[in-house]
Amino acid sequence: MISKGIILEQYKEPALSRDLRQFTNAATVDSTFNGPLVEDVQSLTGEDIIEIARKAEIVDERDGVLLYEKLRTVKKGSITAVVADAIDDEPYISSQLNPLLQLKEDAIGGLKLAAKVLGVSSTYVAVYKNLIDLEMKIPTSVLNVPVKRIRGKYPVEFRIAESFNKEKGVLLIGVCALIHLCRAVRENRIATTCFITVAGNCVGNPANIEVSIGMTVTQILEHCGLIDDPTRVLVGGPMTGIAVKNTDQTIITTTTRAILAYKDDEKEFHYSCVGCGKCVQVCPEMLTPYMIYHLTEKKQMFRLSLYDPQQCIGCGTCSYVCPSRLDVSGAVKRAKQYVRAERQGGADR
Amino acid sequence: MKLKASYAPHIRYSENAQTLMDDTVIVLAVLYVMAFFYYGVVALHAGLVSILTCYLADCICTKLRGQKINFRDHSAIVTGMILPLLMPAGIHMVAIISAGLFAIVIAKQVFGGVGQNIFNPAAAGFAFTALCFPGQMFSYPMPFDRLPILTETASKLVRGPAYALKFGSIPTNDLVDMLLGNFAGPMGATNILVILACLLFLIFRKTVRWQLPVSFLGTAALYAFFFPRISLSPLQSVAYELMSGMVLFVGVFVITDPVTSPKRDSSKLLYGIVAGLMAMLFRQYGGFEDSSIFAVLLMNAFAPLIDLISEYIHKAVRKGGRAV
Repeated sequence: MISKGIILEQYKEPALSRDLRQFTNAATVDSTFNGPLVEDVQSLTGEDIIEIARKAEIVDERDGVLLYEKLRTVKKGSITAVVADAIDDEPYISSQLNPLLQLKEDAIGGLKLAAKVLGVSSTYVAVYKNLIDLEMKIPTSVLNVPVKRIRGKYPVEFRIAESFNKEKGVLLIGVCALIHLCRAVRENRIATTCFITVAGNCVGNPANIEVSIGMTVTQILEHCGLIDDPTRVLVGGPMTGIAVKNTDQTIITTTTRAILAYKDDEKEFHYSCVGCGKCVQVCPEMLTPYMIYHLTEKKQMFRLSLYDPQQCIGCGTCSYVCPSRLDVSGAVKRAKQYVRAERQGGADR
Repeated sequence: MKLKASYAPHIRYSENAQTLMDDTVIVLAVLYVMAFFYYGVVALHAGLVSILTCYLADCICTKLRGQKINFRDHSAIVTGMILPLLMPAGIHMVAIISAGLFAIVIAKQVFGGVGQNIFNPAAAGFAFTALCFPGQMFSYPMPFDRLPILTETASKLVRGPAYALKFGSIPTNDLVDMLLGNFAGPMGATNILVILACLLFLIFRKTVRWQLPVSFLGTAALYAFFFPRISLSPLQSVAYELMSGMVLFVGVFVITDPVTSPKRDSSKLLYGIVAGLMAMLFRQYGGFEDSSIFAVLLMNAFAPLIDLISEYIHKAVRKGGRAV
């Protein structure tokens, strides 16, 4: 299958090469759950580890699913490998790759525990291949776990499983969830922190930080230092993140991956769709974004079913390439919601 | 801290609709330099009149439709630049102005302005003038004839090699001269090597997808190879067919118009092949000596249909992909 998508400048430096820092709430960071401390990790059964994951309230930062549910719902025999996901295919973000390299023992320990739960022997670490401007070298293996470099244009996150075609099935777990799993087993710690990248041209000290969940965006930006007044603050990556207006009332959640502060003087750009078809050429799901855009603009929702907007993965690639700078992906997202609501309404009747 | 709300993605590709049009403007400007070299200042004069006509008509119509005039929109300039290049140098200004007005007012603005037009404005404008001034449109001055501006041309007008092909005779032009553009023909469509260089530039700048010009010109070449109109070797037939008239110019600048062509790469291939075949059939059996632009105009009408069919195919592919 042809890999469609776009090539993005990665801008992962300098945050990726810097040390992982901690900026945590002292009141919550050491909280533990009740239960005896595990003496011998080898003696734990799969059920024990799932129970620990449940008590520690670990959330997979990839998709926001509770880790214990993820581990519990996997059918026996349906997968043959566990993959620690450190892809970070969006620019600036390195909040999976950096903890993986800095906290190797924890990350790989968590991966081994997850493999034990699922009863599989092969484990991998998935790292994006298109990282070219790095000051560091990505190792070929992390503590004897092979690093699999995933090739392809952005978005690659949803295509990881295709790269493991030798395995029958793979389970992807985010690196940060694995680190929390290892800590929970060793120290009974509850997952009260998450790993984020703070970057952007207004941030004085771009770095990856381990922060407590529930801190505000303002606190984090002040910790890293602002060298200029940002005009946009994003929670999440530049392709899929959300621009926030009030940083005091925006808090870090378990799935927050990055905080980016930019200053830019973007000029107004009025241009209508010229029908160049660039969005069609890059859409990884082979949709027709410009047509969905036109139909939502004209409110001809009944024609949407031909164009399958519900299959959109929300990568934002169509908006990125749009030469008229239209909100194509926003229109597709609205069409997706409309079609979903329509289908559910039909099912109720 | 005053923060702006904006929608994702927050980074955009650096190239926009303006650079897309400006790329074409740059390569067309090169053709004007060549036209200046062959025909003198009359070429620049025709270009200037045409650009002004198209741009002013575009602005006025946009205003009349109650929209804001967008000064970053250079699509009318591209239309204005293409039109005189398809016509003989020294053609009457009335022809150029009427072509520009028809292109912008009827073919573009009536449908709703940039991005909404079904037919390529330049092609429509040319078709209009070809029907109104059939005598003038296909008699060309010889290169290096320095024509006077604004007066009736007194110089000798000749028919191009496409005319010879039309009536089954062998063009007398030297092939090297033809590559360099030194033969009677439309003002900008004769500089074969320069146009090919422009095509390479546009493809490598990703302004133009290679599928369109390659399939169009490839089909035309294959047709000329297998069904030569003249009693020469098939390869010579290919050379004369592609280099005479405006087939190459149409294949590089007119059929590649992003607005009126289909959007998917596969449908672009199909579109180019049918258009190429039709262009050659029109040339052979049509009324005019070079009617490849009419073929493009006709295919424009089918572009949405091709897109719709490819959408049904892709819907099936998407379903299949999900099931696996």
